[in-house]
Amino acid sequence: MKRLMQIFASFAMLLPVVAWAEPQKGGVIDVATIGEPPTLDPMASTADLVGIVTQNIYETLYTFDKDWGVTPLLAADMPKVSGDGLTYTIPLRTGVKFHDGSDMDSADVVASLQRWMKVATRGKQAAEVIKAVDAPDANTVKITLGKPFAPLLSLLSLNNAAAIIIPSENAGQDPLTSFVGTGPYMLKDRKPDQFIQLVRFDAYKSRDGEPNGYGGARKQYLDEIRFVPVPDPNTRVEGAVAGQFAYVDSLPVESFAKISSGKTKPVILKPFGWPVFVMNTKQGLNADIRIRKAIQAALAPNDMLLAAFGSPDFFAVDGAMYPQGYKWHTETGTEPYKPEGDTEAAAALLKEAGYDGSKPLRILTSRQYEFHYKMAQVAAEYLKAAGFKVELDVVEWATLTKNRTDPALWDIYITHSPFLPEPSLTGIMSDTSPGWWVSDRKHKVLDAFNAEPDPAKRVELWAPVQQAIYDEVPAFKVGDFNALAAQAPNLQGVTPAPWPYFWNAYLEGK
Amino acid sequence: MLRSILNRLLGMIVVMALVVTIVFVIVRVTPGDPAAVMLGPDASAADIAALRTKLGLDGSIVEQFGRYVLDLIKGDLGQSIFLGEPVTSALAQRAEPTFFLTVFSLIIATLIALPVGILSAYTRGSIFDQAATTVAMFAASVPSFWLGLLLIQFFAVRLGWFDTSGYGGPGASFADRLAHLVLPALALGLVSSALITRFTRAAMLDVLNDDYVRTARSKGMSEWRVVLKHAFKNALIPILTVIGLTAALLVSGAVVTETVFGLPGVGSLVVSAVLRRDYPVIQGALLVIAGLYVLVNFVIDMLYLAVDPRVRY
Amino acid sequence: MAAISNPQLAEPAMLSRLMGRPTAAVGVLILIIIALAAILAPVIAPYAPTKLSIASRLHPPSFAHLFGTDDLGRDVFTRMLYAARTSLSVGFAVVIFASIIGIVLGLASGFFRKLDAPVSRLIDAMMAFPDILLAIALVAALGATAFNVVVALGIVYAPRLARVVRASTLVIRELPYVEAARALGVPTPTILVRHVLRNVTSPLLVQGTFIFANAILAEAGLSFLGVGISPDIPTWGTMISVGRQYMDQAGWIMMFPGAAIVITVLALQLVGDGLRDLLDPRLAKDI
Repeated sequence: MKRLMQIFASFAMLLPVVAWAEPQKGGVIDVATIGEPPTLDPMASTADLVGIVTQNIYETLYTFDKDWGVTPLLAADMPKVSGDGLTYTIPLRTGVKFHDGSDMDSADVVASLQRWMKVATRGKQAAEVIKAVDAPDANTVKITLGKPFAPLLSLLSLNNAAAIIIPSENAGQDPLTSFVGTGPYMLKDRKPDQFIQLVRFDAYKSRDGEPNGYGGARKQYLDEIRFVPVPDPNTRVEGAVAGQFAYVDSLPVESFAKISSGKTKPVILKPFGWPVFVMNTKQGLNADIRIRKAIQAALAPNDMLLAAFGSPDFFAVDGAMYPQGYKWHTETGTEPYKPEGDTEAAAALLKEAGYDGSKPLRILTSRQYEFHYKMAQVAAEYLKAAGFKVELDVVEWATLTKNRTDPALWDIYITHSPFLPEPSLTGIMSDTSPGWWVSDRKHKVLDAFNAEPDPAKRVELWAPVQQAIYDEVPAFKVGDFNALAAQAPNLQGVTPAPWPYFWNAYLEGK
Repeated sequence: MLRSILNRLLGMIVVMALVVTIVFVIVRVTPGDPAAVMLGPDASAADIAALRTKLGLDGSIVEQFGRYVLDLIKGDLGQSIFLGEPVTSALAQRAEPTFFLTVFSLIIATLIALPVGILSAYTRGSIFDQAATTVAMFAASVPSFWLGLLLIQFFAVRLGWFDTSGYGGPGASFADRLAHLVLPALALGLVSSALITRFTRAAMLDVLNDDYVRTARSKGMSEWRVVLKHAFKNALIPILTVIGLTAALLVSGAVVTETVFGLPGVGSLVVSAVLRRDYPVIQGALLVIAGLYVLVNFVIDMLYLAVDPRVRY
Repeated sequence: MAAISNPQLAEPAMLSRLMGRPTAAVGVLILIIIALAAILAPVIAPYAPTKLSIASRLHPPSFAHLFGTDDLGRDVFTRMLYAARTSLSVGFAVVIFASIIGIVLGLASGFFRKLDAPVSRLIDAMMAFPDILLAIALVAALGATAFNVVVALGIVYAPRLARVVRASTLVIRELPYVEAARALGVPTPTILVRHVLRNVTSPLLVQGTFIFANAILAEAGLSFLGVGISPDIPTWGTMISVGRQYMDQAGWIMMFPGAAIVITVLALQLVGDGLRDLLDPRLAKDI
């Protein structure tokens, strides 16, 4: 709740006070995005961009409400979970139509979930514990698990590598070629690198009640939403200043002042996510935990964040994996996180590890996100001060995503993530994701966390996981950072969100 | 004559084969993985390997080359890995902005270059001539992307006369689309005007000293007519040749300019394809551009041959 | 072709004649100043090029920081000096590399009739690619290091030089004294080096100067597109590309390196023009 208050406060502060007129139907908005999505099949990709665009087209059984709790979307209600936590019985809503005019029923859901378990990265993760998905009747789906698995509903709710529901006859397509969903907007036209045009789906059946985060009612005020790829961040800033778009996603926070003086208003999402230095625990220098501890001591998050984001208004020096306001927030284990770094301690640890300075520490990064690269530069200086020999490997994003899967090529790679509603979905929690953090300690604490169905107890079980992350240093969380977007003054009803959505949005005076 | 044509034709085929091979080699030794880019940050290594097989990125390089040449002979440039459409249609869609950007830049460059070049030659050694020569050289020294940035800053952001980037939304009219080309064409045209200016000046100097110009003068024709009607007419052939040359250079300039202005043209398609490791698109675009160049050259050679049978290949 | 008319042009004489032309003299002077600044960078530079000072980031030009500071608080003037080293060396290395390939290809096709057709076709094929596109593809293939940028741009510009060398060689080969040398049984390598190579230096020099200018522009373009030299090595191109996002807050970060490019390229063109006028009397009329 506190987090929402923060969002609201930042939102209210930045937008001129407007009378909340009754939303009107109609209008077309152009939304500038960070690029062309690699696919319009949200099962096939974990990229945020794919989720942002396609969540308007397809829907999942569950989604997140404004407090990041799971709430039903295509499901009629929360599932009935058996006492042993192994059977989920999910009632479906009736009368839901696909964009092609056909009705959604349990056969579509079963086929879609099966495709999800086969195609989607997160679906495959779930497939390891799912024993069966079947349909007792036309409006019910039953999922049977091999062992209790608390993150299941979060996995079903997420919008990337998403468990979207599509007509059963399309579920055999791989890659997906018919972009038919149940969402409030449907695909009309797509010109790669120019625009993706979505139009209102008139037969859409909204949930009753009021909008609540991604859940609740979904209103279709706008006639059309066009996503325009603008890969260059400076071009997005210029477009925002010139008022060329109704909404501009993912702007460099340092352009805040410039945006403020322009024709669209800045919107800050605070906090948005966390930059992270992922360590290669499998091979090379960082296979040695003592080296990882030395890096943990050497890095100075304060300077790194300042260089990356310009002003403390846009970041927080914070070692906890989830910032205050999230139920997962805890300070457990964060003592080794030193805002100014501790060069002496790092040097001592390095000496202890027997590092002689001959082998360089290779930091893999890209300029796709300028702040990654800036943090790398500052980190390199601090690491050098502690006695490391450092090699910056600055490559294109395509090369980075390839090279990081090869443990022979890097010691640290830099990435970032939004604060995911379910901690176990974070990259380092998977044994196979680059970094390859595997240890008995990890498995012990994580298995306990994942098997516990009771939300309150899970919060308690999260602290030992965070403790393990700090003790074994599979990654270095740099801090929290805010995201900046820009919005036309007459565009209303858009809630700041890590994956902004445009149902419920409307144009004032339209 | 026929022998010449055949020789030249054979040469062209050899060149095309070389172009095809060069493109394939460059593209395939490129590190980075389209499958990894497509699947997003949290994909596993196994997923990536599976997608590679599906995209035909596995198999030995010889096998891949064989497949690629066979497809090429069938006129199939392949399927874009990233865009989910055939490379030919992706290229066809991007042709419009690139074509008009090149044409407009050329028009702007010529409109500046011809008068300045002619006047420079006519007033050879004058202050105007020296200034024009220096300015032309200065223009050729400015990085076109830098000029583009300044134009965006001033005309699009500050004055708001144009969109900062893009090529109009869905259903944008032809005129609206062309309006998006004004700033990029200006950036590219100004920078390329230098070459044409200097050639115009040189060609005009050549003919201004020729006998018939002097004769025309001595006949008491007005200077204006002497310069434009007689001299310029005769200087036109070399000038046109240079304009043609500049057009080829502009394709290169368009790559950077399209990226600066976010134009969905062939140049920016190649740049983004390189960043996305979209092999078929890089291959296809390079092939089509280089192929066009070779073809146009061939046609020009044939024209020369037709005009002057002494030319031999 | 015209270079043949004065094959024994001595270097010092050429320089003094070059300096006799005011525009070329200005060009030479500018180049000398820039080259000196680059060479003496460690002596002149008030700071270390990689010295970060996050607290004093984006400071405007002042006495402490002549050209201001960049996004990481580094001194822009210092980095400009070090960037001059990289940008000039890259440009120069491209000329050398392109010349080596160009000379080999050009001599081979111009002197040996059998090689002429295949080598010429190869040159034709390489010339068919727009230069920036070919450079982007090559750098992506080889990896974005300074060395590979040099290799890529060298490959891109080599065919132009090869054509120049081939054209000159074709003429020189038929000159009476070269034919005489051949008839006398002088070994081919000796002929190539003593007679042919010597006579192609003049057109090479002219072309080389322009390629130097083009290479500096191309390097900046590649860096701007994000496919060039690793951005932590200061070059004028990488400085512009980093400074772009601070265009209004801290315009100096990209203005000064941009100006450096314009001035250097302009100077190179002035010199190239002067050289062409001197060495190529037919064209001296004034292109």
